Amino acid sequence: MLRGKRILSTYFYLFMLVIYLPLLSILAFSFNNSLSAGPPWRGFTLRWWEAFFSDPVAPTAVINSLVVAVSVAVVATLMGLGVAFVLVRRVFRGQNVLLLLLLVPIGVPYLLIGISLFSLLGVELGLELSLFTLAIGHILVALPFSSLVLMARLIGFDRSLEEAAQDLGATGFTTFRKITFPLIRPGIFVSMFLAFIISLEDVVIANFLVGGDLTVPMFVFGRLRLWKGLPMAKALSSFMVVIALAFACFFFIRAILPRERPRLPR
Amino acid sequence: MKDDTTIRERVLSIFRKMKKLGYYWRLFPAVFWLGFFLVLPLSVMFIYSFWTMFRFELFPTWTLQNYLDIFVRAEGLYLRLLSKSIGMSIAVTLGAIALAYPAAYYISTRGGKYKYVLLALIMTPYMVSWVILIFGWRMVIGYTGLLNAVLMEAGLISEPMRLWGNWMAVIFVLIVSWAPWLVLPIFVSLEKIDRTLLEAGADLGARPSENFRKITLPLSMPGLLVATFFVLIPTFGEFVAPVLAGGASGAMIGTAIEAAFKRMHNWPFGSALSFLLLTIALITSFVLIRKTGLRTLMESL
Repeated sequence: MLRGKRILSTYFYLFMLVIYLPLLSILAFSFNNSLSAGPPWRGFTLRWWEAFFSDPVAPTAVINSLVVAVSVAVVATLMGLGVAFVLVRRVFRGQNVLLLLLLVPIGVPYLLIGISLFSLLGVELGLELSLFTLAIGHILVALPFSSLVLMARLIGFDRSLEEAAQDLGATGFTTFRKITFPLIRPGIFVSMFLAFIISLEDVVIANFLVGGDLTVPMFVFGRLRLWKGLPMAKALSSFMVVIALAFACFFFIRAILPRERPRLPR
Repeated sequence: MKDDTTIRERVLSIFRKMKKLGYYWRLFPAVFWLGFFLVLPLSVMFIYSFWTMFRFELFPTWTLQNYLDIFVRAEGLYLRLLSKSIGMSIAVTLGAIALAYPAAYYISTRGGKYKYVLLALIMTPYMVSWVILIFGWRMVIGYTGLLNAVLMEAGLISEPMRLWGNWMAVIFVLIVSWAPWLVLPIFVSLEKIDRTLLEAGADLGARPSENFRKITLPLSMPGLLVATFFVLIPTFGEFVAPVLAGGASGAMIGTAIEAAFKRMHNWPFGSALSFLLLTIALITSFVLIRKTGLRTLMESL
């Protein structure tokens, strides 16, 4: 029994080590004074980082990625809210059809979403491919996740709270602001976080929809595919790794610090 | 007089109906998005698959040649790629679930108050793009990578192993990168298991392993189905890992589709391949959703 427990926890630490291994090695080797990607270690240098911050393209890629990811998070969550409210609180004909349609983007490989949107927007409508067309695709794939998260949140929602507020004379908007929104806020955060990650890490849809603009994954993908410009890819990747690790530290510290008691909405 | 009231009633009922319909505008953006950016593009793709392309121009010829080509072109290469991709996807799914299950089990049973922190820590590597993860793995298991360097230094091997650039590397990278994502749905289904069942089992003399096999595993099945859904479908169309880690033997159907569009400039053929893949993916997801139920899917997010 005790041995089984020890095996399990050892496994878990190994698992964590393995999933962080690529991130840590990217970070470590971005300080390696060598043109190649990995070992051997040829001494400490900051020159790839300097090159990264003085590069005309690489920082733009970071900004582009963040802009798209934030707008996707916001738009997909707003749309998801609309869908979730109606689907959870109303009964209407065609409800199941809509639900099924909503799930289709998860059931279609991203590659096909990229290709089909490229056929429509780029070829048939002749739009110039840009961050804008990319955001269209990302919103589409983030929408099911946002809607499902928010629906799950709304299903367990006590509606008598809203009714009470309205009985006490609150307008629709006030009720939403003071009662509904605080109660579904965790769902909104999760939805935005998921949509943000889905957009930030995607390269498959971007490969078809981004056109001349660059996002971080596309930048790295291009460099890796051609096996050149590795140092820059290294520095850029490390930059993203630093952002991710910062998030990890944030979660970690928040967990260790004493938690303040959850406040009830006034 | 009587007419007056009926008219008034009618007006009122129309007004009430409008007010009722008014709620539904919230659906509009999402429905528009799904219709215009999902259904319409897929239809365009479907139509393309019957056309031909000659010198970078599309011709609406309405032919079935593209579908026939899948079977005859390059001595059935595309069919082999398709079956290989499906096989690899299944292997990746099973492998990733096998890796993720113990981790989810650990968090659920031993996480204590750190459960959600641990989950968040497991998810953070996802903020880094998939491409960057592959890049990182190349540094670790590539020909000149960390693993080879360490083993050489230790004198265990005399020359670097070729671990990178074949189908095994693709499967490995996919498994390791998907596993953390799967911890979440499996964790959710483990959390929902009623602990008293396990106690009852123990009281009736079941060993922990028996308890696990007869209670925990069957009850966590919904989570496993959701996990399958999350990995299997995207992996069908994977082309990043095969391109970066796969070399010649690691090619998948996604690679072929991407090449048909981006390099061969044969969009109709690419569309036909895509449509075949789409059919397979949709049937698979339909079956999985039927088995899982929507509610489980929702709660696992």
